[in-house]
Amino acid sequence: MKWVALIVPVLFLAVFIFALVRRVKLYDCFTDGVKEALPLILSVFPYLAAMLILSALFEESGLAKIITDFLSPAFRALGIPPEISPLVLIKPFSGSGSTAILSELLAAYGPDSYIGRCACVAYGSSETVFYISAVYFAGLKTKNLFKPTAIALAANFLGVVVGCLLCRVM
Amino acid sequence: MNGIFAVIFILSCALFLFSYPDGFLSAMLSGGQKAATLSLSLLAVYCVWLGFFKVLERSGLSEKITRHTMSATRRLFRSDDREALTFAGGNLSANLLGLPGAPTPLGIKATKRFLESGNTYAADMLFVLNATSLQLLPTTVIALRLAAGSAFPADIFLPTLLATLFSSLLGGMLVFLTRRRKKQPAPLAVRRAA
Repeated sequence: MKWVALIVPVLFLAVFIFALVRRVKLYDCFTDGVKEALPLILSVFPYLAAMLILSALFEESGLAKIITDFLSPAFRALGIPPEISPLVLIKPFSGSGSTAILSELLAAYGPDSYIGRCACVAYGSSETVFYISAVYFAGLKTKNLFKPTAIALAANFLGVVVGCLLCRVM
Repeated sequence: MNGIFAVIFILSCALFLFSYPDGFLSAMLSGGQKAATLSLSLLAVYCVWLGFFKVLERSGLSEKITRHTMSATRRLFRSDDREALTFAGGNLSANLLGLPGAPTPLGIKATKRFLESGNTYAADMLFVLNATSLQLLPTTVIALRLAAGSAFPADIFLPTLLATLFSSLLGGMLVFLTRRRKKQPAPLAVRRAA
């Protein structure tokens, strides 16, 4: 897996050398690009803040735990071990929160146990849906934000179901 | 989104009221804190990648790459907007390569352009593909497994890949199947915030 670390430096080297051959003024050009960073983060910030405050409330109020307990039997019926249901539930809201849960699960059950492997697959095959929707649709009041978000959530969830099933046979 | 925000906010607030009211403000502040620190680290990431992308663009290399992927992305997003398709194609490649942070600025730019021309289908498709984790190598998970002392850290590679492939395909298909058949005039489909 060491070659993975090579991707980024090789990419930068190749592109910058190609740009030099094409007589691009690297310094001017790079700074032009960086100029866009601040406006971009400013446009995203309000939505990011609202979403992160909401996920903090969701986790710390105990609402997440109540919903997890409520859904665990249904999760179990679908082949998702109840131990990882907090992970499945928190992942759409918070990347750092789900990373913390994954580390706890790996420490408690061991990374090579069935639960540990399921947790890894669940974490790796799903995404922070609400965070991405806050960032991508920042400031754009589309009529149907509900539809893409619901589709992404459903697809992620079924991906986890399939992942847990695969962990059992692979 | 307004509905989800209101429901979760009010339920959490009510729970705090009954369990321990002191925690309410500190929970919100911890969320705000996270937003502040995350924005700073995102800013750092955007600086690097936006600079890189500008070089990629000016060198004419992105144009070359786009020429090869154009026919595929055009069909995937049902769009003829060259610039938006370049951003979207770059976003998908950065996702596949697992370049941390790189897909986001490209995705935001592509989504903005898609929606400006009223193409909600393309924006939805791009969002769902991004939100179903289109990554070839789950580097974070493998690193965490290594840290936890796994004997086979890369053991979950195949099931993760298959599961995420499944979710991305399913998501993409659902967007395709639920698309609106009739074309709507652009100004109605999207209104920019003041």
